[in-house]
Amino acid sequence: MTKYIPTIGIECHVQLCTKTKLFSEVDNDARLKEPNSCVSPVDYGLPGMLPRLNQDAITYAVRAGLALNSEINLESRFDRKHYFYPDLPKGYQITQMYHPIIGAGFVELPDGTKIRIEHAHLEEDAGKLSHESTYSLVDLNRAGTPLIEIVSMPDIHSAAHARDYTKELWRLMTYAKVTFGDLYNGNMRFDVNISLAPEGSEKLGTRAEVKNLNSFRSVERAVEYEIKRQTKLLEKGEKVIQETRGWSDATGETTSQRSKEEAQDYRYMPEPDIPPIRLAPEVIEAERARLPKLPAEYRHDFSKVLTADLIEVLLDYQNLVEKLAELEDEKTAKKVANLFSSVLLAEENASLLNDELPTKEQLLELVEMNDKNELSSTATKEVFLKFFDPEMHFKDTRSIAKELGVIQENDMGALEAIVDAVLAKPETKQAQDDYKAGQEKVLGFLVGQVMKESHGKANPSAVQEILKAKLK
Amino acid sequence: MEVNQEVIAHLAELSNFALTDQESTRLVSDLNGIINYISQLDELDTSGIEPTYQVFEMENVWRPDEILPQDADREQLLNLTKEVRDNQIKVPKVL
Repeated sequence: MTKYIPTIGIECHVQLCTKTKLFSEVDNDARLKEPNSCVSPVDYGLPGMLPRLNQDAITYAVRAGLALNSEINLESRFDRKHYFYPDLPKGYQITQMYHPIIGAGFVELPDGTKIRIEHAHLEEDAGKLSHESTYSLVDLNRAGTPLIEIVSMPDIHSAAHARDYTKELWRLMTYAKVTFGDLYNGNMRFDVNISLAPEGSEKLGTRAEVKNLNSFRSVERAVEYEIKRQTKLLEKGEKVIQETRGWSDATGETTSQRSKEEAQDYRYMPEPDIPPIRLAPEVIEAERARLPKLPAEYRHDFSKVLTADLIEVLLDYQNLVEKLAELEDEKTAKKVANLFSSVLLAEENASLLNDELPTKEQLLELVEMNDKNELSSTATKEVFLKFFDPEMHFKDTRSIAKELGVIQENDMGALEAIVDAVLAKPETKQAQDDYKAGQEKVLGFLVGQVMKESHGKANPSAVQEILKAKLK
Repeated sequence: MEVNQEVIAHLAELSNFALTDQESTRLVSDLNGIINYISQLDELDTSGIEPTYQVFEMENVWRPDEILPQDADREQLLNLTKEVRDNQIKVPKVL
């Protein structure tokens, strides 16, 4: 049977987290706001209104482009793209058809695969439609939100890579702080183009486009579904139709969205209301200097001490990897990484990661106390969790450990005294005799007695050594 | 380029305009007149010339990213629409 190779290209819309919209001085963060409350006459598309370009949207786009390893075009322009839809009051979208601000670049996936970026451009978002049974409602809070649309080359060939690519884009854009990256609220949305061609074929097959996916998981599932659907069609000798399809998370299927599709005709024209953008190279360099460390660099740096799987988990939390990088010493970073992963990445604690993380000093002292056996591994985790306790988080590690009463007694003299006290107790006599007679496992009982006597603060391995020496 | 009834019908469809036959006929003759007049420019060779984006040679006309009070509030804007429901603009069902 012929083997079919999928070819996938992805367009990603990223809502920029500027304070105001792209062309009006209106609040751009409409989360939890009343419908149509963040709207100006410009967003309403009233006749005679002039769009007023937001300078920060330009610098955000530059930063996003640098995170995509892209060329930044020193000159870029805006165009009008005309279409009629109720979520677009002006009847055209202001976008960058011919001279986008962001040129060719690439995104490196966790496994090292490079996905090329064709270009990315700035444009305005449309309003939000909700559909009722007999009518639709329009909320224009989102109309005019700055977007960058990132267009990949068709370099992706599996559902897993499609997921990895979208997730990596999310990391790059949130690390670069150009978007809130809240997928649930549509801050990033993906359109996936997918076609199949027989293995070895030079020509690409006919593609279908699955629009408006809003999670990495739905990108992956939609691609898996399309590969199956298109394979079936081709194996039956039927043709894939070039069309737009919608995805349903509930059914796990894509369905055709073709209405009476008038041949698309956007009648692009230069946007006369917005003069061209010409960037000074210094502006680009200033943004480059502001760009934080990106996932690929962390991967490289952590690869010596952490497993690839753990690195990928940690990379979902930028504040966390920044904290680990602060620790400098590899052994310390490894210990702290493991603490984070064992204590915090458990479902019930994950939300703590949004809080302020422990300071470098707290973490270094914690690792040091653990190294010196002042804290057992259980106590270390206990103290670590207290770093997130609003009552405790400002205290230094030793004070927290003292307050919890978990510091292990390592002073051999003090320990010996406790051991002697325990051995002097009549109830331990039998165990001592048994041990001397060769029953080594009763040592555990004796260690337990000493631990009890010390209120759990003795270092068990030190106690064991002392007992062994005394009972020889 | 020749504007005929078909072209007008296509443009009307794209813009969601309902045109009467009379309006459509008048648009054919009006638009043909305009295009004929403008096509005098066709005798110039414009190959390799970038379209003009704007004529004042301005660049980088932008504003700081600061929220400012607007001249119109939600009620005024919603008053301009035909039908409102739950502070949203009600339109015929799409999709």
